[in-house]
Amino acid sequence: MGTMGLALPWKARIASVPRQRETRVEPSEHYAGGPNPAVVDAITEDATLATGCRAGNLHAYERLFYLHGARMKNLARNLLGNPVDAEDAVQETFLKVQRSIASFRGQSSFITWTYRILINTCHDARRSRLRKKEVANDDSGETPRPEPRAPGAHPSLRMALERALASLTKHQRDVFLLYEVEGFRHAEIAGMLEITETASKNTLFQAKKNLRLVLERPRGNAAEPR
Amino acid sequence: MMNATCKDREHIFEDGTPGEWAALEAHSNNCRACAEELKAWKSLSVAAQEMRDYTDSPSFWPRIERALATEAQRNTQRTVRRGWLSFLPSIPLSWQTAVAGAFVLVLTISAGWIYVHWPNRPEQHDKSLLKSAALENVEHAEAAYVQAIDKLAEETKPQLENPAMPLLANYQEKLAVLDSAIADLRAQAGLNPSNAQLRHQLLAMYQEKQHTLEEVLEARKQ
Repeated sequence: MGTMGLALPWKARIASVPRQRETRVEPSEHYAGGPNPAVVDAITEDATLATGCRAGNLHAYERLFYLHGARMKNLARNLLGNPVDAEDAVQETFLKVQRSIASFRGQSSFITWTYRILINTCHDARRSRLRKKEVANDDSGETPRPEPRAPGAHPSLRMALERALASLTKHQRDVFLLYEVEGFRHAEIAGMLEITETASKNTLFQAKKNLRLVLERPRGNAAEPR
Repeated sequence: MMNATCKDREHIFEDGTPGEWAALEAHSNNCRACAEELKAWKSLSVAAQEMRDYTDSPSFWPRIERALATEAQRNTQRTVRRGWLSFLPSIPLSWQTAVAGAFVLVLTISAGWIYVHWPNRPEQHDKSLLKSAALENVEHAEAAYVQAIDKLAEETKPQLENPAMPLLANYQEKLAVLDSAIADLRAQAGLNPSNAQLRHQLLAMYQEKQHTLEEVLEARKQ
């Protein structure tokens, strides 16, 4: 594809991949009007899940997996770079939820709390993998190695973005993945990362600015960490 | 309708309201730079969708379910092991505190009684605390030994005071050195009665004095 030679992935014609959700190109944070019925349903669902999991009901965990398992695995894969580690991280997250559900006081939503555990688990796994690499004297670096994904995804565009993401700070990467890839709102991200909503917005803005800088560089420099 | 300029672009990208975004879109129809920036900004979000892969993996939930069941079973076993203490939470905290306090009180009284009525209290037998019976025996034997050597020294005194031979004069000097060394060692042993090394050295000095005195007596016979 000729346009890819410019190393400007957004100028490339993106393959017609079927979208599972609307693309996040406009702000979705500013709501008007009364309580959204979908939000009310989500709150009820969240409380039901928390109660079920606290009672040790395996069906509640199954429901949690049914609702969020794929998204959790996708987030873990983007944070860790491969599906095997991602599955391990998601499984570990479920076990951690089971172990510490008694200490969940409901200050944030149950789902936010679960994702916070997942993100911390992924960071721990990444650190541990980095330590192992250091021990093994492997100089391949911290950058997760992307693996083949869904056949529909545009490989060059995805790889360019993954390489560019590796150049971001941990916080910028987390916020970008949570907002742009997983479609969470800034309020939810703030709860997951224990930051303010404003900090989340600002971090996303900085992340996107940095990504643009990295992706606009000539191709040879695109993967260079900052 | 709201108006936007090139200067507002960054702010709108960071935290723009839907109205501000609409104004920026309208502005970009007439501003090529803003149109490019807006397109590039939106393209990042479009590109991010490529990182979304929600492919179903049928074996994943059964794996998690097994891990959860195993963990739950382990938890149950742990709870059973702790079962004998399970009555504690049902007792009010004030009662738990009272019982703990009573237990400490009984323990303190018992310890006090034992301290007061213990048959070998240190202040009553401070001597036995400082000196063991074996050490006392050694000291008794040592005193008898010293007395015996002093008797021997008394016998040799006339020859040593008026030495007829140069050999006796040498013995006299040797005995003077030995007496001085014995006096030093006795002083040190007095400060540290349990020092076995000092006692050995003292014994060696007495033995040397004894042999010297014997030699003086032999010399007199000759």
